[in-house]
Amino acid sequence: MWNQTSGISPEVYLKDMPMTPAIEMKGITKFFTSTHVRANDHVDFSVEHGEVHALVGENGAGKTTLMSILYGLVKPDEGEIVIDGGKVRIGHPDDAIKNGIGMVHQHFKLIPSFTVAQNIQLGIEPDPFLNPQKENELVAELANKYNLPVDPAARIRDLPVGMQQRVEILKILQRHAKILVLDEPTAVLTPQEVNELITVIRGLSKLGYTIIFITHKLIEVMSVADRVSVMRGGKMVGTKKVSETSIPDLARMMVGREVLLRVKKKEIQRGEVVLETRDISVSDVNGLAAISHVTFNVHKGEIVAIAGVSGNGQTELVEAISGMLSLDGGEILFKGKPIDQASVGERRDMGMAHIPEDRMVVGLNLQTTLDENLIVSRYNHSEFSRYGFLLMKTISDFAEKVVHAFSISAARPGEGISMLSGGNLQKVVVGRELSGNPSFIIANQPTRGLDVGSIEFVHKTLIEERDKGAGVLLVSVELDEVLALSDRILVLYRGKIQGELETATATEEQVGILMAGGTLEDLKAERREDEQGKWEVRS
Amino acid sequence: MEGFFSVFTVELLNSGIRLATPILLAALGGALCNQAGVLNLALESKMLLGAFVGILAAFYIGNSYAGLLVAMAAGGLLGLLFAFLYHKYKVDLVILAIAFNLIIVELTVFVMRALFGNVGSWSDPSIVRIPDIHIPLIEDIPFLGPILSGYNIIVYFSWLATAVMFVVLYKMRSGRHLRAVGENKSAAETVGINAVLLQTLALVISGMLAGLGGAFLSIGHLKLFTRNMSNGRGWIAIAAAMFGVNHPVGVFLASLFFGFADAFSVRIQNVTDLPPNLVKLLPNLATLLVLILIALRSKLALSMARRRFRAQLRAEEASAVAEPSS
Amino acid sequence: MNSVRFRKILDAILVPLLAVLSGLVVMGILILFLKKPLFESYAILFSNGFGCQAYGNCIFITALERATPLILTGLSAVVAFRSGMFSIGQEGQYLVGAATAAWLGYAIHLPPVLHPLVLILAAMLVGAGYGWIPGILKVKLGVNELLATIMLNSIAALVVEYLVQFPMRAEKSTTAHSPVIDESAQLLAFLPGSKWGVGFVIAVLAVILVYIYLWRTKSGYEQRMAGQSKKFALFGGIRSDSAAVRAMLISGALSGLAGAIEVMGVHRRIMTGFSVGLGFDGLTTAILGQVHPIGVFIVAILFSGLKLGAQIGLQLKLDIPRELGGTIIGFIILFVAAGKLYEENIVRARDWLLSRRGSKLKGESQ
Repeated sequence: MWNQTSGISPEVYLKDMPMTPAIEMKGITKFFTSTHVRANDHVDFSVEHGEVHALVGENGAGKTTLMSILYGLVKPDEGEIVIDGGKVRIGHPDDAIKNGIGMVHQHFKLIPSFTVAQNIQLGIEPDPFLNPQKENELVAELANKYNLPVDPAARIRDLPVGMQQRVEILKILQRHAKILVLDEPTAVLTPQEVNELITVIRGLSKLGYTIIFITHKLIEVMSVADRVSVMRGGKMVGTKKVSETSIPDLARMMVGREVLLRVKKKEIQRGEVVLETRDISVSDVNGLAAISHVTFNVHKGEIVAIAGVSGNGQTELVEAISGMLSLDGGEILFKGKPIDQASVGERRDMGMAHIPEDRMVVGLNLQTTLDENLIVSRYNHSEFSRYGFLLMKTISDFAEKVVHAFSISAARPGEGISMLSGGNLQKVVVGRELSGNPSFIIANQPTRGLDVGSIEFVHKTLIEERDKGAGVLLVSVELDEVLALSDRILVLYRGKIQGELETATATEEQVGILMAGGTLEDLKAERREDEQGKWEVRS
Repeated sequence: MEGFFSVFTVELLNSGIRLATPILLAALGGALCNQAGVLNLALESKMLLGAFVGILAAFYIGNSYAGLLVAMAAGGLLGLLFAFLYHKYKVDLVILAIAFNLIIVELTVFVMRALFGNVGSWSDPSIVRIPDIHIPLIEDIPFLGPILSGYNIIVYFSWLATAVMFVVLYKMRSGRHLRAVGENKSAAETVGINAVLLQTLALVISGMLAGLGGAFLSIGHLKLFTRNMSNGRGWIAIAAAMFGVNHPVGVFLASLFFGFADAFSVRIQNVTDLPPNLVKLLPNLATLLVLILIALRSKLALSMARRRFRAQLRAEEASAVAEPSS
Repeated sequence: MNSVRFRKILDAILVPLLAVLSGLVVMGILILFLKKPLFESYAILFSNGFGCQAYGNCIFITALERATPLILTGLSAVVAFRSGMFSIGQEGQYLVGAATAAWLGYAIHLPPVLHPLVLILAAMLVGAGYGWIPGILKVKLGVNELLATIMLNSIAALVVEYLVQFPMRAEKSTTAHSPVIDESAQLLAFLPGSKWGVGFVIAVLAVILVYIYLWRTKSGYEQRMAGQSKKFALFGGIRSDSAAVRAMLISGALSGLAGAIEVMGVHRRIMTGFSVGLGFDGLTTAILGQVHPIGVFIVAILFSGLKLGAQIGLQLKLDIPRELGGTIIGFIILFVAAGKLYEENIVRARDWLLSRRGSKLKGESQ
């Protein structure tokens, strides 16, 4: 099976692939007392030798915890790990390494000012005295063996992210890993680098290495994995062969909601344009394009949904519109006026509201009271402050009103909110954001982590606002929510608008193909196929 | 201005090197801790403890060299305590340092007064000052001789310590591990390096060095102990470590800078009307400048990435204009 | 006071209280080492720090006066910390404020009420300016404010020392000091023979004003939110940068004010060795006082009372070195910082206390 043309030397080929699974995790349970979260709930997970296995789930589903347990960073409360048919105890990463498991973390464990060779050799230097030349030679040899060229003397901080990742992979291969665990490997790569990584993964898999990668990017799953396991809320939902599933299917497994009945909406009364983005581009922390040349608009009285699996630029798009991030190109118009120079506060004063993705860290300040949380967007308006002083009584009354209007149980003016449930916290956020009668609302994953009742509440509220004439930009990864609430759907893929659909005539499969990187042309072509027979998501 | 230049003598250099020594010792320790990722602001307390315990030990044991060893041990123990409280109870480093500094300043005087009565400072004629060493061949070298020879053993030890620290940090495995811990603790732990152990070691060693530096002041220089004897040198050492960007050679030079400023300011008083304190101002201002430059550099690096992106966008736009079809 | 508020206050004072008690235990140990009478020592410490003698001469008054600079530098630290700026620059700001007041005290001549007012305002302005430096460096360049204020403290000490020894030096003074400030500039004392006077009133006023500022004004709200959660502040539209700079201006002004009052109300001039670490004492006061104005007020009086009691009582009456006072304060800070030591025990004690009060607050989550 060794591919002669790939240039990889034969020593690295793993012979004798046994029939027993490479890894079996049985009944893994872990409860974190510090956060009161059951991260893993009797999880069973098994991986075959030489396969590429994707582990997917939303943030907080428990996939990182599971792999941390496998790698010895976390000790499980219950459960056992079986490697190659033999039960093992992994209490420390050293044990994992001894068992041939290597892990490449999402945030690279590299020393920026050290060179490639120094990083790869860190911790396993043979002599007390260092020999840089020998180290460089060793690393060059290693890179050659696996056909993963690197410059041993280059400093990590000067290397592009894709190259840094390669160093991480070489690091674990150097420590004789046969099972590679990659945590969100494509999160920070350019599309080019993603393709290179996929080639590397395929190559290693052919040699008999087992590869597990954690991700929430379903597109990559479909293009490189053999099997995929889905986790949700700490539990293992199921494992499927990639050839027998699709992106919408996986998305549904990840989210697990029953298909909601379409919420009753009035006929759309589309008003004038309230928000318009023209050719906007924003870079991420690494200087790569997070969103590029995005143009769309939202009218009053309509809900526009940005659909797409997370990591395609949604965060940057929302932050650019709200003013938390500055544009690198293009312009944004609000009610016809350019707002690129306007601050967050100024945009809010103009009528923009924002329900953020992370309600506990961004949307709220859990260290302070309900009142102080409710006024953060409008504390300097004359109703809440005069001559620089806060009008405590007025604020308190306002808090009382919000608690009643939104039935926020266990919340009282003057008291803290850290003990409230997710649903109630979101009600505080929504109560605050809607209290200023906004004309434009950004709702970013507004129902993530909420119970059914709270979800219904959020949906009902967004529709109400839309009926009252506000423009709503809904960003969501859940197709059901997108199809139920929106009037128009835009699919974001790798920072670009992949396509636009009218919700009334859109189908799940159409959205799915756009989310997977397909195009409108394919869509038209596919529609013809639709009438004839089954249709599969293209990878 | 004749008087001004008369100050520049060999004697000034000697004095500068001597004055730099306690700073150098403490600063090396501070730099080591910084490289390991633990900010050690308690150098003042370790110095003071070393000064006090050192001279006490020299008195009770009857041997000044023994006093030096005891001073190092005391400083090391204090460093161990510091490390223990930091790692076990997650005490905030800054507050811990403030508490240590406060306790030691007061406690040393307390013990001195408890032992010797209500005195402001204490000394004893039986205490022998650490003698200067005159190295036979070296002291005869024309220019450099008087500069290199004639110091006490602590001064030479500080030079040795600088060299050893350089070799260990940059040429040896443990030093690399320590630097790794300081730069990215979780990365180091992932490859099996014991970060807690290394940080503790750094704190203990810095305690020993600072303790020795303090002993230099009491046994090696003034032959007495008085309240707050270190007089802010612990803080100067912190500045010297910053100025020397935590590199042994940089720290060595920075300490010399501070030492010379000190020596210079004392002598200048006797000779001209130039205010001495303004001379001492120079190294402090320089350190502040270094802090600013370091911050500027990382800020520039961050904005580099974005600027590149924007330039790329503009290039794209330009080419799009040139070829309107897409 | 309902039980929720009670619990909140209990939480706030429990750790400091335990820390103080532990500190007093350490004191006991040290006293036993010296073979001095244990209970008598405690009695003398407290009566000589906080008590009133029969003939109407209250040492407590001196404690209040000595607490004045601590209160102000403590407030300075509170304002800075609550805005997320870990500045330890109180010492330097205090010195520049003192130097300003000392200089204007003799360099210009103004009528009685106006003169001190101008001095105070000038000192606060200069202090604010000195606090502005680390603030703007942090906000614009990302310079670590802790390290910057360490350096600025040294710089201020050197510059002020220079000023005292040269330009501002009073003629024919053996140890360098500035000329005594005009009588019109001096702060009134309330009682003859004591320095307790207008300075203390100003400090109390400052406590009230800082409390009102932080919890009742827009500006203070911005600062606290920026200090507690930068992301939340950005999201909500609060300008964290200007909030941080404003905090440093106010913090510097408060420390500068402390320096001015020390000059105007106590020493009437500035001299060599003026700085006795009062800036750092302000820090420790803020830490033990749980970074709250009222806490600072109480702790400042506690600290000065302890020091006084050790100085006058223990030293003079029992021949115990007065440094015991400072040592105990240092241990108290250590215990406060190592609060985790108490954590399990506090939870147990708190639950016990509350169960006795018959409240069913345990497990109130939805």
